[in-house]
Amino acid sequence: MSACTGVFAVSCTREHSTGAKTLQRERQLNQFLAEVERRALRIAEIAVRDRDEALDLVQEAMIKLARNYADRPGEEWTPLFYRILQNGVRDWHRRQKVRNRVMVWFGRGKKDEDEYDVVANAPDPAGRSPDDQLQTQEAMQRLEESIHELPARQREAFMLRTFEGLDVAGTAVAMGCSAGSVKTHYSRAVHALREKLGEHWQ
Amino acid sequence: MNDPGKNEQVEKQAKTLFDDSVERLDAATLSRLNQGRHRALEELRESRHSAPWLRWAPAAGVAAAAVVTVIVMRGPDVVEIAPVTASDFEMLLEEDGFEMFEDLEFYVLLDEVASEANGDVG
Repeated sequence: MSACTGVFAVSCTREHSTGAKTLQRERQLNQFLAEVERRALRIAEIAVRDRDEALDLVQEAMIKLARNYADRPGEEWTPLFYRILQNGVRDWHRRQKVRNRVMVWFGRGKKDEDEYDVVANAPDPAGRSPDDQLQTQEAMQRLEESIHELPARQREAFMLRTFEGLDVAGTAVAMGCSAGSVKTHYSRAVHALREKLGEHWQ
Repeated sequence: MNDPGKNEQVEKQAKTLFDDSVERLDAATLSRLNQGRHRALEELRESRHSAPWLRWAPAAGVAAAAVVTVIVMRGPDVVEIAPVTASDFEMLLEEDGFEMFEDLEFYVLLDEVASEANGDVG
């Protein structure tokens, strides 16, 4: 009888411990996602130039991370999350290309530029003079346009390194390429942006 | 080309502008991000409560459907089934493969468009 009670107690303790670990993991994941989601949204938005689409892509990346990688060490989450997001962005661009071809065939094609008004989609102002707001928004608009004009891999490398602050190794994981490629893409991106924005930013 | 000072200036200014735009995200957007995060956490809870073998159920379903298709197409007299390689299974189990089915209607539309272009409609 007492042996039975002992086994039951051990089993309960083990279950309680597993439950506590699960809860802690969930809290950690929640904290991670809350910390990364806003930057991820802006990065996706710059890449696809549509906030609603970017929100969908970020949500999808969060779900995939939770479903497939929640048990991985926390320090791996950032590159994994951005890898999922970048794959989503690449898929989105592929689908857009096909969709545009079909729409052009039906005579209803639109240019990308017609679909996105950066100023109209700019974030809400927060306690600054209208002149300051306008200047900042215009500078961000120029930056977004310049980043958008970069080749896709350069754009990814620049945003992951500069905006998200990933190191070269983390960026390589997120982009699914070698560290050497990251360095090359990043260096070319910075150079191209200097050329494009130089006159405005000197 | 490689002026570290100027590169740093571009990086710094871009980061400042980016952080500023992140800070100024509106309440509606933040709310949608919050909802998305909670959906992801729900997904995590559900995946923990479901039996591990259930994760393979869709893949097993597709594999079974493929086998049935082969049998039906080859007729009742032929019992020989084409050998299935490891790479076939890998392709079936790959998550991205399933996402394609979500867009099935779209691919059907593409097929129709291509057929019409070739003058197959009739």
